[in-house]
Amino acid sequence: MINQIAMITREEILARLNDPSLLLVNVMPEETFADGHIPRSLNLPLSQVETKARQLFADVGRELVIYCGGPT
Amino acid sequence: MGYKNIRHYVGGMADWEEKGGPVEKMDLPVVDPSPRQFVRAETSKTWIWSRWLDTLANWPLDRLVGFWLGMILAFGFVYWGAGIGMGWGLQAGNASVKPDFEGLLTSIYFSFVTALSIGYGDVIPVGALRVLAIVEGAAGLLIFGCLVSKLVSRRQEELTEEIHRTTFEDRLDRVRTNLHLVFSDLGAVLQLQAEQGVLPGQIVRRLESTVRVFRGEMQTIHDLLYRTQVLPDEEALESLLANLAICLQSVVDLQSSQLNGQQRSQPLDAGLHAISNLANEICGECVPRTYAPAMKQWMDQIQELARKIA
Repeated sequence: MINQIAMITREEILARLNDPSLLLVNVMPEETFADGHIPRSLNLPLSQVETKARQLFADVGRELVIYCGGPT
Repeated sequence: MGYKNIRHYVGGMADWEEKGGPVEKMDLPVVDPSPRQFVRAETSKTWIWSRWLDTLANWPLDRLVGFWLGMILAFGFVYWGAGIGMGWGLQAGNASVKPDFEGLLTSIYFSFVTALSIGYGDVIPVGALRVLAIVEGAAGLLIFGCLVSKLVSRRQEELTEEIHRTTFEDRLDRVRTNLHLVFSDLGAVLQLQAEQGVLPGQIVRRLESTVRVFRGEMQTIHDLLYRTQVLPDEEALESLLANLAICLQSVVDLQSSQLNGQQRSQPLDAGLHAISNLANEICGECVPRTYAPAMKQWMDQIQELARKIA
């Protein structure tokens, strides 16, 4: 699935850090998330994607950026 | 999952930090505004009375019983004390209840009779105690009502849970039985094919129907693994997965022997395709919950077989 979705560059995230229409989603486990994340990100651990994604992002048209620990 | 506008930041945290992006630590944003808070905000506007009743109804059974008994005893003491201190106590017959131990017992007896709203009338309150007795009667009724409803609902909850569990187990049993039928049917078809070479039309239709059943049960198991609210115990799950694996294996066998010479019908093809797609999503790493290594092995095997079908 990862292969099918578009990429975003670091520069674009940096430029739009204060843009509320861009929703940053960190898929790391809670502990790792607590250790450090891009400001304004939400935490949605991978294990909970199936159960919680709809709850967190009810609007499917919303601009989302997902990221995790490192290059995958 | 239907999201259209997703993008992936491939570098992740490592890349972000390495090039000096701002990092935020441990002020976990409150992601999920707890619905409980809303409820509480609403109830603060409602009556103190109903809130008090809600709290009471939420108490565990033993606490409720204790509170009820305590209240009755306390009222008994108050009736008795009022008789000593102020001179207007309870009256039994035409004489007032004496301020001794026997009087205390009578007061407690009266308290019970009032709280249970029995009201024999052999002991009666006098003066201001009449107000107190009415208050006790009302409170006793309410608390006793809570207590009874608690007892009833407890039994009911047990029953509902039991029903849920048995239907769930029944369903699992049915899946297992169906998978067994699918397996033996596929075996029969395989044998027939080995004997006759090309399958007659009737047998092809039978095969289609078998594949349809298989597809349905495949979907059930897939749902079971992906919707994690209810989960069978490991033993049941393992037997399901094992059954699933042998069914898939016979589909693979059938496919490899049938492909030469026989034209596959369209519904059969669609069914097999759906089965393979579903099975492909079952593997130790991709299901949302982590399972014991033995389970994972089964799941991986299922995925492997699925790829052979596709």
